[in-house]
Amino acid sequence: MSPAISPGGRRALWVGFWVFVVFLYAPIVVLIVFSFNDRSTVSFPWEGFTLRWYRAFVENPTLLGALRTSAYVALLTGLATTLLAIPAAILLVRRRFAGKGLVTGLLLAPLVIPLIVFGVALLILFKNLEASTGGLVTVSRYTVVVGHTVVALPFAILTIVPRLERIPPSYEEAARDLGADAFTSFRTVTFPLIAPAVVAAFLISVVISFDEIVIASFVAGEDTTFPLYLFSQLRLPQSLPQVIAVAVVVMGVSGAIVVASEVGIRIADRRLEAELGVAAGEVATLTGGTKGAA
Amino acid sequence: MTTTARVELSAPPVAPRARRRRGLLGLLAAPTGFLALFFLVPVLMVAAYSVGLLTLLPHDLYLSLQPWRDFFASETHVGLFWKSVRLSVVVSAVSVLLAYPIAYALALVAGRRKYTLLLVILAPFLTSYLLRVLAWRVILGDEGLIITLLRDVGVLGPEGQISWLFYSPFAVYVVLAYVWVPFVALPIFVTLDGMDRDLLEASHDLGATRWTTFLRVTLPLSVPGVVAAFVFVFIPTIGEYVTPLLVGGPNGFFFGNAIQGAILQGFDWQFGAAMAMFLVGTVTVLLVLFGRYLNVRAVAE
Repeated sequence: MSPAISPGGRRALWVGFWVFVVFLYAPIVVLIVFSFNDRSTVSFPWEGFTLRWYRAFVENPTLLGALRTSAYVALLTGLATTLLAIPAAILLVRRRFAGKGLVTGLLLAPLVIPLIVFGVALLILFKNLEASTGGLVTVSRYTVVVGHTVVALPFAILTIVPRLERIPPSYEEAARDLGADAFTSFRTVTFPLIAPAVVAAFLISVVISFDEIVIASFVAGEDTTFPLYLFSQLRLPQSLPQVIAVAVVVMGVSGAIVVASEVGIRIADRRLEAELGVAAGEVATLTGGTKGAA
Repeated sequence: MTTTARVELSAPPVAPRARRRRGLLGLLAAPTGFLALFFLVPVLMVAAYSVGLLTLLPHDLYLSLQPWRDFFASETHVGLFWKSVRLSVVVSAVSVLLAYPIAYALALVAGRRKYTLLLVILAPFLTSYLLRVLAWRVILGDEGLIITLLRDVGVLGPEGQISWLFYSPFAVYVVLAYVWVPFVALPIFVTLDGMDRDLLEASHDLGATRWTTFLRVTLPLSVPGVVAAFVFVFIPTIGEYVTPLLVGGPNGFFFGNAIQGAILQGFDWQFGAAMAMFLVGTVTVLLVLFGRYLNVRAVAE
């Protein structure tokens, strides 16, 4: 007898839920199915099963080049984002200082800017830098990395923050009391404990970058990332099937990465809870023991 | 005795306060410096550029409000802005309406499986955006699933088409709602999940029906989640131009397309910058009005 839902309502809600799941997944399934359709346009009718679209993309150098560019951009973005997100998360969780509200606002602000505005802004910034440095700075895959790092940073920070919040500051204090300097206590105590969240932050940044098209379309210059390539091909029906084949592969890989990191972080969290429980118990026994001795 | 020994051992070479301040600066410098340089400064540059405090292209106006005047005087562009506002409002509202019962089911009915099921809902949101848009082309397109089906059952003739189905504003609405709906479920789920269940029990014990409980307890308590979801869909949608380019056809031209066109095709950068700043202003108003509902942290967890 639940006050949230009647038995009939429960049934209706679950039917609705699964209809919703079908609505979410059907288009993706349709796309995957059509990537095996032996027809040169992505449309009906079904003309038999083929793997030729999957074979074709392996032989398409432009496509492979775009994939490589995107992989490079995504890895650099993941690295830069993670390196920036770790100190930012420590700042937000462990420190109190004047102007913290403003700093928090700045760190999360990229979440609330329409990407097109940020794309225009970066283009204007880099064109200015190009003019003032005599062409030393120019729009390329590296400027895309800068843009993607800004976009991914809040997500990375918000991935690390909850994990850091669960780790008692007393652990680091203990390390400091035993003579470790700030960096050593971070490296040997804090970092190993937040490592799962750091990995998740890295993966999320990689996936965001790999799929991002708006910033890339403004500041990629002559370089072509995979989404840009995909976009340019979407208007040409004849090259669509093989593009879809690659995209299905990419989608599968990135989906697997995200799900794996989500599941991974949940498992790591449970393990941390368990460890913290044990540690708290030990501390209690120890203090109890000392008191008894005194 | 032991206390003194300990102090001597761990006595820091620098006074703790100075050390802490240095540590703070060290943590602060990289992330805020990076965002100041590559986020704050560029956005301010757009503002400066739109009024000619800064010029880049040979034909750029120096210190002039002309781009802004042009924008406000242009019925086409102001009209496109409102068209985008309408799109964003409808897409946000439809996504919230679709996602609310789902979030409700997960948070209050699903029990222990809720996180697994939430992941099932969220996973499509984390796959390629372009791909999900593309999928709808296969469904709504000229030779797509729906048209072929309608031809097969004889509702349409062999060459029959439905003009509003694809390359139309309708397609933009459908695709964007599809793209955003899993994401919308998240903040609503978080507020419902964080709600005190005893309130439902209490309402029930006091004789309220389930509907009354929903309308007078659950729904009001979930307002922050609903508003957050609404805002988080509204903001990206109002500047949306990629989806309209892919599925919108000739009538599916929105404010984002106008900005993108002015910058990447028209080389009317100052005009584009003014429109971009206008979007920033709109978003700022929205955040001032609804900012207190946006508990970003809760969503992340």
